[in-house]
Amino acid sequence: MSRLYDTVEPAVVDDEMLKKAVEEQGPKDEAGRIAKQEGIDYWDVLSLRLDFRNILKIDNLWQFKELTKLQLDNNIIEKIEGLDALVNLRWLDLSFNNIEVIEGLNHLSKLEDLTLFNNRISRLENMDSLSALHVLSLGNNKVNQLDNLIYLRRFQNLRTLNLSGNPVCEDPGYKLFTVAYLSHLVYLDFRLIDEETRQKAHSLYENKLGELMHNEQQARSALLEEKRKAKELESHKEAYVEFLNGPNLFDAMYKEDPEGNKLSMLPGIQDILKEFREKFVDFCYKIFEYGTKEYDRRSHEVKEFNSCMDDAKHENKKMATEHIDKFENYKKKLFSELLTSNDPDIQEQKVSEYNSEVSQLWDTVMGFEMQLVDQLEETIKDFERNLTDMMSQFVEHVQGLISQLRDLENVHNEKLLEMCMLVLEKVVKNEMSEELPEDLRMLFVDKDTIVNAIGASHDVHLVKIDNREDEIVTRSSGWISSLMQSIHRAECLRNRQRVIEISNFVEHLRDEIDSFDLSEVVRA
Amino acid sequence: MDIIPEDGLEETQEEVKDLEEKLNGIQLETISVTVIKQPAIDKPDFSEYPESYKENTNKEKLILAYAENFRRQYVHLFRDRKPLFLNPLNECGIEKFVCTTLRPTLLPFKELYHWLGCAEFVSDYITMDQLDPPAELPLQLHSPSTILERQLGNCFDFSNILCSLLLGAGYDAYVVSGYATKEVCLSDESRDICPLLNTKPEVKKEEDKKAAGKYSVKPPRDLRSKFIIKMEARRKKEEEDQKDKERMEEEARVAELEKPPPDLLYGLRIHSWVLIRGGKREVPEDFFIEPFTGRSYSPQNQSFLGIESIWNHNNYWANMQDCSNGCKDMSFDLNDTTKWEYMLVGADRSTLDIPNVEEELYDLEDDEKDNEDDKHLDMPAPWVRPINVTEKQNETRCPSGKKTILYKKAKLEKYSNYLMKDGLVKRLSVYENNELTTLKKVQEWFGNREDKLTMRLHEGGVVTEDFVEGRQRSLKQHVYKANFPGSETDRTMTFYDNARVDGLSKRDESAIEMTEHFINRDDFLYYRHVLFDKRQKKVAPATAEGLPRPILKITEKFHRNKELPANDDIAEQMFILSEDKVQITYHREDANISASTRDFFKPPNAEEKGGNLQWAPDMTSTFQVNQHKLPTKNLTVYEDLIRLIQVEQSSIQAVRNSEEEVREILADRQKEEIASELAISVYDTERNEKAKKHRKELERLAMEEKLRRQEMEMDYLAPFLAQIGNPEKISRNQAFKLKEDCLSDLKQRLIDKANLIQLRFERETSELHKKQLEYQQKQVVMTKEDEEQYFNYCSEAMFRIHILELRLNRHKQMAPHKYMQLEQKLRQDPRLSVYF
Repeated sequence: MSRLYDTVEPAVVDDEMLKKAVEEQGPKDEAGRIAKQEGIDYWDVLSLRLDFRNILKIDNLWQFKELTKLQLDNNIIEKIEGLDALVNLRWLDLSFNNIEVIEGLNHLSKLEDLTLFNNRISRLENMDSLSALHVLSLGNNKVNQLDNLIYLRRFQNLRTLNLSGNPVCEDPGYKLFTVAYLSHLVYLDFRLIDEETRQKAHSLYENKLGELMHNEQQARSALLEEKRKAKELESHKEAYVEFLNGPNLFDAMYKEDPEGNKLSMLPGIQDILKEFREKFVDFCYKIFEYGTKEYDRRSHEVKEFNSCMDDAKHENKKMATEHIDKFENYKKKLFSELLTSNDPDIQEQKVSEYNSEVSQLWDTVMGFEMQLVDQLEETIKDFERNLTDMMSQFVEHVQGLISQLRDLENVHNEKLLEMCMLVLEKVVKNEMSEELPEDLRMLFVDKDTIVNAIGASHDVHLVKIDNREDEIVTRSSGWISSLMQSIHRAECLRNRQRVIEISNFVEHLRDEIDSFDLSEVVRA
Repeated sequence: MDIIPEDGLEETQEEVKDLEEKLNGIQLETISVTVIKQPAIDKPDFSEYPESYKENTNKEKLILAYAENFRRQYVHLFRDRKPLFLNPLNECGIEKFVCTTLRPTLLPFKELYHWLGCAEFVSDYITMDQLDPPAELPLQLHSPSTILERQLGNCFDFSNILCSLLLGAGYDAYVVSGYATKEVCLSDESRDICPLLNTKPEVKKEEDKKAAGKYSVKPPRDLRSKFIIKMEARRKKEEEDQKDKERMEEEARVAELEKPPPDLLYGLRIHSWVLIRGGKREVPEDFFIEPFTGRSYSPQNQSFLGIESIWNHNNYWANMQDCSNGCKDMSFDLNDTTKWEYMLVGADRSTLDIPNVEEELYDLEDDEKDNEDDKHLDMPAPWVRPINVTEKQNETRCPSGKKTILYKKAKLEKYSNYLMKDGLVKRLSVYENNELTTLKKVQEWFGNREDKLTMRLHEGGVVTEDFVEGRQRSLKQHVYKANFPGSETDRTMTFYDNARVDGLSKRDESAIEMTEHFINRDDFLYYRHVLFDKRQKKVAPATAEGLPRPILKITEKFHRNKELPANDDIAEQMFILSEDKVQITYHREDANISASTRDFFKPPNAEEKGGNLQWAPDMTSTFQVNQHKLPTKNLTVYEDLIRLIQVEQSSIQAVRNSEEEVREILADRQKEEIASELAISVYDTERNEKAKKHRKELERLAMEEKLRRQEMEMDYLAPFLAQIGNPEKISRNQAFKLKEDCLSDLKQRLIDKANLIQLRFERETSELHKKQLEYQQKQVVMTKEDEEQYFNYCSEAMFRIHILELRLNRHKQMAPHKYMQLEQKLRQDPRLSVYF
């Protein structure tokens, strides 16, 4: 759109341009001198202006991670791109460009002010993640669908909207429609929305709005419900008993079992199957309940452990900081004394006293750390032991329950076998009163076939149950080992950092007296 | 019996003694009985009392007969007990039953709804009069209204009023007649510690230690020798025991010294006080109120030696319990007939149980039956006038508004509100010794002060002043040395921090230091400490305000601002002005034990250069805790420095402002102390002069308005209209005639009046003339007195004549005006104006 620059070559945002812009817009005077000397890092820049530069393509902005304000107005940009790294952006100006489609804004969830004035946009879309949007300027574009404005309803914080200069504004109902559907708006097309308009719009669109709101409400609650369920499932998974509170396992057993399904067509088997299913599901539910209970116990245990660890660390820190504070006071006093006294002997004595104090401080603080390490190590061991006990108890119990499942399956299998034998006899003797389905009759050709079929079904079932058991065992042991590993690693890291910190600090203290001495000498 | 005459003698002597004692006992009884029946009249004028004071109704006579019967039975059964206080005489010499002298009253004052307030009011308002003789019941019991009028009464009068007020406020209160120690009977508190000094030791809140969790770390092993610790503990305990013992001995010695001298009449002194039984008004257990002092005692207190009887407005109980051990083991379960003998049957039911609704309904049906079954005598209505206390009486309290109480090593003076010019209401002086000669501390309480001062304490040369909220600079407490009231001296000011914009809660000062504490500030500042240098001694004596003290160092401490990373959040900044140095300590990260620090060395006169400061790398030194982090950029450090230079200036300004504020507060205090004005509530109609004036003004205006309206309403046409029969409409002729008549009538009246004055004038002159003639004739024989009389008459007559003359002249002048006025009015009269 910027005719002025038609003669100039279209540009791409490149490093050179950025460097120049940053330098230009950086600090001034003495601060500017320092900045220049030192160089400005792109990730420190908070605001950047790239206007009137005939830019066609946005690029190379990935380093500006902290950027909150970006001006790209009055260029010839046709496509919004390359902004995905600027997650902290709050203020984006893309006015006076040649953009046709809103896109590429999905990562800018902190965006509050978006200006797309004077572009070629015809549709409002692709802005779902801009939940913080406060001001939206879309004037002089090609938005032509009134219904499209309903898209803006999702922005709860939107207060200011500018659509003037769009074809849609010529619609006679445009203003009232917008006011009615976007009830949070305060300013529309540069004007404050007065109470009268608001009421008029509200009364005009009351019915439609009510319906819309109802639908939205339902969608929202459905979403919430879904989230809740997902969360629940997550916690069940952590308890290793997901889907055990229903017939899921049972259904899975029969799903991969063609023979079993065929056999279930047998007359008179329905009742047995139903009973079996009921009992099976019942046991599954027992496992589920036990599992969640144990999970609660475990998480409580972990929580308690964590809080105790935190307490211990806090206590230890308090002791250490007390000593350090005391030392700091001593240091201040000593330094001021050193300043006032001129006698080199006394100074010498003071310095050596200081050095011994520093060593002593090191001893004390290090002692605290060693003490803490011992204490924590012991506690962690206790915790590991308890948790392992708890887990093995859990696994044993679950295994017991699962073997009961297996027994159920066995009993069912026997019953089935018995029944099949009876049916087989009847089939052989041709005494079968009712007709069997074709594929089922295929099984009843001789004894071997039917026994094999039943055996296969039984095996499938047992394998399913075994698999579930294995899953619980492996996952639980995996959890413990990973948890303990992370605890050990964190403790190790903490200890190392603390030791480094202490030695660093003590070194600094020693440096201080040295440099102090030096300055004294220089002055003398 | 000559063989052992001495023994015999002794025996007889003992006998005699015994007899004497017995006789004495009998005598006492007979005397007191007869005394009751003697009508002792000391005040013959009863006209001001209502009828109920002067005679008994039939019912009262009946109850008196009941009482007499009760008394007779009592005397018969318990020959060796003292008589009961049943029916003393009232101020008109009429026998009245004690229960009917109680009149439950709730007075319209907030503080009199609680027993403490009632007790304090009674003890303050009435002056105490001791019983005479102290071991005998008084003959008279005055009605409460009389006592409140006289402001003088004995213990029975006190208890009577107090009990009436308490019953009115809903307490289960009783008047007790019994025996007490001399100190209590004479209201001698000089052996008691002043209740104001008896501050309760603050209950230390036991910090509920968090229950040790399952995984709490084990404490490091204690490597000290257990034996040594044990020995040490034992040694300490011994020392403490020794000290305790010494202290106990000392205390015992002092107590022995301070013990009151033995009282001859111990156990015989009659006293009356009030018992409040637990149950009503959330009173948990029984206790006594001593009416002279208004203090409460537990029934176990050793000052109360025995109880003869108790009563309230419903019933009378005689004590059946042994009092040889004081009131310690007494039970106040009045329904237990083995312990308390009641006088009226069935009168005390209400004190028993809380009736629930259903029962009550049932009772209602029952009641009628009950009443028919056995009609008990219930208590007649009280004969006394209602107790009435005006607002002013309640406020003035003590007779003439002043009262002084002596306590052990302390003196308490009470003044009523607005009595003292400086608003003093209470002054407690504490002395070192029992003779009250060396002053230890003085505590004064004030009320209604314009400057909101409530308390001032002088102790050991230090003055503490407390203020209530609402002062201009929200001062709460001011502690300073009495000898150095000026600024820049040792003082501590506490403020109401939530009323101040800067959240200042406390400011400590000394000659070279000032410490300020803040609460709830947006910039997280909570502490500022300033170190001043001594003023440079100039040749000329520098004025205090002229040159501010040079500042050596300012230290400011901040709370953690959670929005910033700890490493960038300043915990303490120290401006060392004397060295041009700024030291900054940052907050610690959660995981760290050391804190990052940064020192700046300012170039001289940095603040003048502002933003154009030249940067050099040696202007700062940094210690960074986290070594893995990149060092802060020079640019940031430079910006920090610029910012700090500004902050330093504003901190200095803040310090100067603080100093200024201190000076202003001190100046204000001085002014206020000189003025010592008292604040008067806008609702106080008695004292608020302005409001009073305003009200008077309003009344006056209303009065004038009323007069004016009356005048307006006088209709001069009425008589003439009446003459023509009050027609609805007035014709033109009639109107003219009316006007004419009216005017001529006025004219006539004006002339008549002039004539009247003329006539009087003439009469006076002729009279005077006659007298003169007479005088001239008799002048020679006249006595001096007659002559005097004549001259007097003359001067008076002359005066009268002169006045008449003046009046006539004035009338002549005014008459045309009046005529014109009336004419004008008639012209404007709505009824006539149509025609003119």
